[in-house]
Amino acid sequence: MRNLLKPLLLGTAVALSTPLAVLAGSIKIGFNAPLTGFAAADGNSALVGARLAVEQVNAGGGINGDDIELVVYDDQASPKEAAPLAVKMTTQDEVTAGISGSYSGSTRAAATIFQENSVPYISAYAVHPDITRAGDYVFRTSFMGEVQGRAGAKLIGDVMGLKRVALITLNNDFGKSLATGFKEKAADFGIEITGEYEYSIKDREFGPIVSKVRSDGPDAIYASGYFFTAGPLVRQIRAAGIAAPVIGQEGYDSQKFIEIAGPDAEGVIITTSLDRDSSNPITQAFIKGFEEMAGYPTDMVAASAHTAVLVMAEALKTAGAGDRTALRDAIAGSSVDASTGHISFNALGEVKKDVQIQVVKDGAWRHYAVISDPVLLAPPEE
Amino acid sequence: MNGPARSAGPFMHNVAEHLHTSAGNLSLRGSTNRDGFPRAHWTAGQPAPATLQSMLFLDLTVQGLVQGAIYALIALGLTLVYGLLRILHVAHAALFTLGGYVGVIVTNETDSLALAIALAMLSVGVLGIGVYRFCYRPLLGSPPLVALIASIGLFIAAEEIYRLAFGPYGLSFTAPPLQTQVEILPGVFLSHARLMVMGLAVVIIGLLAWLSGSTRTGVAWRATVSDPDIASSFGIDIEKVRYLNFFIGSALAALAGVMVALLNNLVEPTMGAVPAYKGLAIIVLGGLGSVRGTLAASLALGVIESFGTIYAGHLLDRDAIAFAFLILVLMVRPRGLLVRG
Repeated sequence: MRNLLKPLLLGTAVALSTPLAVLAGSIKIGFNAPLTGFAAADGNSALVGARLAVEQVNAGGGINGDDIELVVYDDQASPKEAAPLAVKMTTQDEVTAGISGSYSGSTRAAATIFQENSVPYISAYAVHPDITRAGDYVFRTSFMGEVQGRAGAKLIGDVMGLKRVALITLNNDFGKSLATGFKEKAADFGIEITGEYEYSIKDREFGPIVSKVRSDGPDAIYASGYFFTAGPLVRQIRAAGIAAPVIGQEGYDSQKFIEIAGPDAEGVIITTSLDRDSSNPITQAFIKGFEEMAGYPTDMVAASAHTAVLVMAEALKTAGAGDRTALRDAIAGSSVDASTGHISFNALGEVKKDVQIQVVKDGAWRHYAVISDPVLLAPPEE
Repeated sequence: MNGPARSAGPFMHNVAEHLHTSAGNLSLRGSTNRDGFPRAHWTAGQPAPATLQSMLFLDLTVQGLVQGAIYALIALGLTLVYGLLRILHVAHAALFTLGGYVGVIVTNETDSLALAIALAMLSVGVLGIGVYRFCYRPLLGSPPLVALIASIGLFIAAEEIYRLAFGPYGLSFTAPPLQTQVEILPGVFLSHARLMVMGLAVVIIGLLAWLSGSTRTGVAWRATVSDPDIASSFGIDIEKVRYLNFFIGSALAALAGVMVALLNNLVEPTMGAVPAYKGLAIIVLGGLGSVRGTLAASLALGVIESFGTIYAGHLLDRDAIAFAFLILVLMVRPRGLLVRG
């Protein structure tokens, strides 16, 4: 209980105090994330990940001597909250740059405003394709849904060699773009889709879908969702006696998924950004630092926010904080080793990096494989 | 089915094999060899055999009835409050959530699900009385809209209180009870938790029917619903009836909360959000204030959603299906499912 409460209180305290507490001489980076509302769990994890990165950067000498400082706002994962906050950050707080630790809807709304004001903006884990299309000041350090969907098709059809696949799709930006990418490449890997069923983010009861999937008898189930939908879903799939492997994505990537699905989580495989067993010292320092700071094991959103801050800090070191156009160009030219691997961007500002495959083993996320296929994983250039 | 023998041979063979397969799947549960089990040989291009299709329909109906039983437990409290006070009790869904939290916490602390259910129903029932006493009673003289707004406010506040008190991530059972499953009919699997949901719903609804039909308290309650002034002139303590009403309705919501926690192994601050508005749809569908109508509406909605999710899920999500059904019914029967005209 204490463990859950701590990051929440931390998040709230920071959200309330930071805009007032910005020190003179520090470099301000705007940060919007859902600290309350249905996505509060992800938002608070992302905030801890970002704060950890800020601490690490400042402890390492900051940006050529200056500290960086997060200006944190709660956008409740809602576009109508995010838009005015983005205006506030870019005009009133005059942040040097911004980072989204939020979902697609709110990030899209904010991205447009950052672009209009020529303030560089990095989306840490929102997946919608239109985010980077807002313009040349907007970047993304996580995979687009389509890219991750294609990796899922390769994982199931090629790496695992399973050919009859049932799709259970979350009907929001995240789930639909994953399904699009998956279906686009399914045939290339010999996959036949036995049926596709959609559910809404509010659903926790999947009895009818599970019954239908059981009668379809697939070799594998590709199910999109977040830990709070995927946990109950996996539990209900196994409770119905379906033994086929379940393949998920970064939305599952949280210890909380394993807690909800319990023993049924064992063997669930996902495509994600974070490799817990990575030999990269930055990743290992992040995993350790996060657990100390948050009091619970790390997750994908935290790693993504951490990565976005590190990328921004590296660009600031190159370009300084004075010139936002130079900062934009420095981000575009990034070649940074971060907690989610090596980061560089294409012409649209989409990240180019490997997809990590993790599996639940003995109640923890472990390394399963890496998909490193620049052609398959190439994000769109425009 | 009874046509020429064109497919009888392979067809029967497939059915037999499938039945064998589903048993095989079961025995493999937990085994590491996930790909080793036998599988029926028809492909997705061919229609599945008709018997399996009807098993699926049966399965979907049962799944829908389980969901409907949960809706019924939630909506009964709502309709009782509406019948008595003409208040749309949105905060009822917050009590449902609290029931889930008490259920999970007590089970994790004591390892006793029965104790958890009892404590959840008791504590939330008492809290329900508190909601009436301190939130609704002072507003009884005001227009009904005022109580509705108070109720919505209470609901939103409760969600944030749960978030602060229990954390934003939700809680799960450390050792979820009743997860083993049984094959109640060929091809229809239910976990013990689902069976318990249905069993408890039947028992509770039977008890309620007995309470309102055959006891003095029930007569007093029905009299108060139909005319409070005359009831009170016959010596019925209206306040007592209202307290009892809120206690029973809230305890049922708490029970539903524990059941949902069992099925999903997850209790979240926002888990009342869907019941908050779907409950209102159900009691409208049932003809406001009608207990029998509410029961029928709950079960019908559960089954409609179950089939809708599979066969119309690409067009409409679960809630849209529910509300489309509500609109259709109200077009034909503006006063609810069981009321003509």
